[in-house]
Amino acid sequence: MHYRRILLKELKKDLKEELKYITDMILSHPKNYQVWHHRQVIVDWLRDPANELEFTAKILKKDAKNYHCWQYRQWVLREFGLWDQELAYIDTLLKEDLRNNSAWNQRYFVVSNTTGFTEQVVNQEVEYTQEFIKKAPNNESAWNYLKGVLMDFELHKYPGLLDFCQQLYDERYRSPYLIACMIDTYEEMLEQNCGEQREVLEKAVSLCRSLAEEYDTIRSEYWNFLSRILSSKYGSENAVQTSS
Amino acid sequence: MADENDDFLKPKHIKFFERCLQILPSRYSSLDTNRMTIAFFALSGLDLLNSLDRIEKEKESIIKWVYSLQILPNNTGSNICQCGFRGSSTNTGKNSQKTENKLKLDSGHIAMTYTAIASLLILGDDLSGVNKSAILTALRNLQQEDGSFCCVPEGSENDMRFVYCAACICYMLNDWSGMNVEKAVQFVQKSQSYEGGIGQGPGLEAHGGSTFCAVAALSLMNKLKTSFSEKKLKQLQRWCICRQQSGFQGRPNKPTDTCYSFWVGATLKLIDTYHLINSEFNRGFLMETQGSITGGFSKWPDHTPDALHAYLGLGGLSLLGEEGVLPMHAALNISQRASNHLHSLHSKWKN
Repeated sequence: MHYRRILLKELKKDLKEELKYITDMILSHPKNYQVWHHRQVIVDWLRDPANELEFTAKILKKDAKNYHCWQYRQWVLREFGLWDQELAYIDTLLKEDLRNNSAWNQRYFVVSNTTGFTEQVVNQEVEYTQEFIKKAPNNESAWNYLKGVLMDFELHKYPGLLDFCQQLYDERYRSPYLIACMIDTYEEMLEQNCGEQREVLEKAVSLCRSLAEEYDTIRSEYWNFLSRILSSKYGSENAVQTSS
Repeated sequence: MADENDDFLKPKHIKFFERCLQILPSRYSSLDTNRMTIAFFALSGLDLLNSLDRIEKEKESIIKWVYSLQILPNNTGSNICQCGFRGSSTNTGKNSQKTENKLKLDSGHIAMTYTAIASLLILGDDLSGVNKSAILTALRNLQQEDGSFCCVPEGSENDMRFVYCAACICYMLNDWSGMNVEKAVQFVQKSQSYEGGIGQGPGLEAHGGSTFCAVAALSLMNKLKTSFSEKKLKQLQRWCICRQQSGFQGRPNKPTDTCYSFWVGATLKLIDTYHLINSEFNRGFLMETQGSITGGFSKWPDHTPDALHAYLGLGGLSLLGEEGVLPMHAALNISQRASNHLHSLHSKWKN
């Protein structure tokens, strides 16, 4: 590919022709690193991204999780500042498949590179994500995004988050990601010593147990481990020790 | 475990890796420029199966072949940044005339340099034929402003895979002058996604393969303990643990794939969390992906085995402590026996 690029320059070849060539190559080898890099160099030389969003969308239509394609699309967006329509595009992808983790990641990428996660944006994003969670409470991608959006906030202080979880729980949903989100919120409350420590710890420990024994048994060792850590850190004996 | 593991087709796997060294099906032809990596999978696979004696007679010639792929500095040193190992002689043509122009395009590749040195170690070589200073100079030149690495001096994509290769090279040569460690650490830190796992670069989706590359690189740099806050480490731990379905997947909502039993498994091992996985399910999945006739492992049950998945499937079993598979050095992705040999070389070099 490097040799090819030397020839393209030396022979002053028409780069638009080369773009057609690499389009065909990518269509037949969409998961090859070199072909995508070659495209990036050609488009960089041309300084013309006119077809790039459409082209990547076409590839993603065939494989919505093609890592190379997303990586390249991120380069195009950043290099040429083409952010305007991206959230709308992601929205259509998520409506087609709300488990498309790459699309959720792209959403995070776009927000952090445009508005940033201001309070207002966070509120919007939380609301947006909660709608998707209600449709499919067992979708890890949406839960991860929700927690990602709230990363710099405190889960337990975010208005309505615990209520949102509790409501799903009361509706008898037992998604491991829902329960894990509740545990994480309780853990934060314990860390910051807000609320009735013993009561919060009991809730957290009992949720860990329910995951270990019933709702996420493949990870039973992990949830038991987490439960032990919480108990030893915030259990009554420990509390007495630290206060004495 | 001895009588529990009759389902592990060890003799067939040994034959599979032996075949990889001799003759490959035509579908591998597009990988010809990466021949070194296929050789690495086969050699390290045989090593993990404690069966290197099968190729005793060929060892010397394989070592010679690996060294034949090394690009050495010319008289003027003008090609110093091109030094390292090539993946094969395909693009250079062993017997054709080497004109000046041709030499200009003859460069090492970071992944080939890493797998070449690792393969030499596996074969018991003492690395005395490796031009360490040339390789380290070339390596420094590959590091980018953001701390990541390209794979060739002519320019290429830059990502976490090559950060890992660079860390392996420096670690094996016992010389970190090949990179700016601090910058590499920063690149890794910036690449941890909101999900907790690590992507190929900043902003990219967390992925089992890049997460391994990142964590293993930090471990080799001896920076693993200091690079993540407690919170970030917990997120990483959770993300990795959640990848287990039966075997492991590389990203949420993607299918389980043999190679992640190693990529994610080894990451968990390096962050001291491996004991929390469900070993039985993981082993069960790996057993299903064995090629019952040809040996080797495939990506998914009932698919065609290939060298990469065969090696990483075996690596997954090694992490599980499978009877008949040697334990691994998880960060270097070679057997502990090979890494012991490396460490004994390091002590010799000191004296």
